[in-house]
Amino acid sequence: MQMNPFEALADPTRRRIVEALRCGERPVGEIVDRAGVRQSGVSRHLRILHESGFVSVRPDGQRRLYALRPEPFRELDAWLAGYRRLWEARLDRFGAALEERRGDRGATKKEPRK
Amino acid sequence: MSTMSTPVAADAPQAKMVIERTYRARVEELWELWTTKAGFESWWGPEGFRVEVHALEPRAGGALEYDMIADAADAIAAMKRLGQPVSHGTRGRFAEFKPFERLTLVHVIDFIPGVGPYESTIEVDFHASGDHARMVVTLHPHRDPHWTKMSAEGFRSQLTKLDKRFGGLG
Repeated sequence: MQMNPFEALADPTRRRIVEALRCGERPVGEIVDRAGVRQSGVSRHLRILHESGFVSVRPDGQRRLYALRPEPFRELDAWLAGYRRLWEARLDRFGAALEERRGDRGATKKEPRK
Repeated sequence: MSTMSTPVAADAPQAKMVIERTYRARVEELWELWTTKAGFESWWGPEGFRVEVHALEPRAGGALEYDMIADAADAIAAMKRLGQPVSHGTRGRFAEFKPFERLTLVHVIDFIPGVGPYESTIEVDFHASGDHARMVVTLHPHRDPHWTKMSAEGFRSQLTKLDKRFGGLG
């Protein structure tokens, strides 16, 4: 089953692999060295990252080279922007409720904010 | 008003998101909006929805239970379009509760089809600063981005209206 982007990157080993690929495509051996992960588990993590769209793979002679794909990162970024907007709106509402309560109490003269 | 957020990074996909606001008010007034029934009901939830609080126990470990109810025509339509009920019960608790300083609110997210229950935490820190109060809200984005994305799209029209209405407040 394909994981959603958060699940795919929730694993610390997969995050280290992503980090190791930030400077460009690499073969498995270099990923193992750079990410400090075990050779035995790296294939499974690379498969998950590949299936989730984070990583592309291409043959290079006897080797397979892995690289990051930008699309899922853009998707994550867009999703987070939407999530942030929801909260911005919620806190706008918080501010409005605060103003209203202050007005009702008459303790402080309500001043229009910029 | 000031706002900032921490962007997601490749090596920290579940990084906290921080939103900070400064209000011309006392910390105690901000605190009330989180920790009293009337206060909470006055702002929680998106435009077009109202909240009906059934339990709010203002203490560490205290329960927070409420219904989130779509009550504006376009909000009701949006929920129906998304195949969701117009009202759903929500459970949570105050995990930390240090009056006028800090609280953490843990929600139980148990209404996402196909996703088992999990907890979502919101941290809120309050700081007095002269005649202003600063509030720092730290969010841990929901585990299922598809759900939130769907919700965000459903609420987009309401958000646009909110931006216009409260854009100058803070």
